[in-house]
Amino acid sequence: MFRRSGSFVAFFVDGRMPDPRSAAFTEALAGQRFRSIESAASEEVSIGWVTSGDPTGDSFELEDIDLDRGLWLQVRTDKKKLPAVWVRIRRAQAERSAGRKLSARERKELKEALMDELLPRILPSVGLTDVLLEPKSGLLLLFGTSTSLKDEFQKLWFRTFACNLVECEPHSLAQRSGLDRDALAYLDEVAPVRWSDDPAQAAPAAPRKLVVAEQAPAPIDHDDDSDDGDNSDDHDDNEFGAGAEAEAMA
Amino acid sequence: MSDAASHGFLGEEFLTWLWFRTETEGGEFDLGEGRVVGLSFDDYIEFAPLDDDETEHTLKKGIPTRSSEARAALKSGHRLRRARLVLGMGDLIWLFTLDGATLGLRSVKLPDDDEEAEGPEEVSRERAVNFLLIHELMGKVYREFLRLRLRRDYRANAGAEQARWMAG
Repeated sequence: MFRRSGSFVAFFVDGRMPDPRSAAFTEALAGQRFRSIESAASEEVSIGWVTSGDPTGDSFELEDIDLDRGLWLQVRTDKKKLPAVWVRIRRAQAERSAGRKLSARERKELKEALMDELLPRILPSVGLTDVLLEPKSGLLLLFGTSTSLKDEFQKLWFRTFACNLVECEPHSLAQRSGLDRDALAYLDEVAPVRWSDDPAQAAPAAPRKLVVAEQAPAPIDHDDDSDDGDNSDDHDDNEFGAGAEAEAMA
Repeated sequence: MSDAASHGFLGEEFLTWLWFRTETEGGEFDLGEGRVVGLSFDDYIEFAPLDDDETEHTLKKGIPTRSSEARAALKSGHRLRRARLVLGMGDLIWLFTLDGATLGLRSVKLPDDDEEAEGPEEVSRERAVNFLLIHELMGKVYREFLRLRLRRDYRANAGAEQARWMAG
């Protein structure tokens, strides 16, 4: 049964993907399906698609995925790691037998021997992350919020469908909110309101381009704040006075 | 700086505006297409620091928006960073924490399952719809805010009203 609570990160699908109810869609999932690392003899991470009906990743039945308005997918992430406590125990044993501390080389050899011995016997940790896709709107909800999960998921998505995901945040959501042209044009200029110690006198800082104009009276280059990669000053809060003057200048 | 990182303030202003809007006009929003939602603040609010060195303000339990500490934070010009909200539409009620900078919905609790749902598949379908719906509804409330905020005369009108409320 699908979850009743949780946190999610929303994305917009940016590009074309196969019809989610077509064979091409399930074939794409199968191409990046989860692959087991149960018997692996090295520290590994495996990430891939599964469904709630088959968490092994061996099959992708539409009936396990289709929830009418949305499609329910799952990402399985298995991690196999040598427990640090075993390394400490074996090292202590070895140092007691030798009657001295192990050298760096000996510690490395000990760890490699331990990996060969223990990793095939250790089961990986398993993580299942729900994904809800609304094909009609191209909205996707990922039920996990860690940065590493988001990064890995976006890579998996691209490998699967050869299209990108755009994370939903104040700017990207505003762009898709059906606002009129003036509002959208202002979106890239809008600066934070600086609610001062006396909020009755507070006001939004002037549009960033105008603040730039105030600081440098030279002719305004309207392309300056687009892609220069270092426009952080443009986004700083601005005091009421400076903003008001700049706005008045306009 | 990316657009995502640079416009986090807009989400925090949205949260602060929600507080202003619910206190001054009530929490009802007509989102069109026959959809009317009611929104209120629950038991958790967190203020964004004015600068990196400032202590963070978090208020929880009871009705934190009514506390003297919350009024003092508003007066000194703080905007909200996160808040636990309740949104209702008809019989459906969602609880969630809205993160201003990302507009991410955290710790979402969906409305109760329909008692008449036939089997786990129908319950799953209903839950999926309710997750998609809360995202959609909050997107539409955000649009209401943007329609005011992305006007060049915001400072003279809606912004000035909110400033008076914050000072009051």
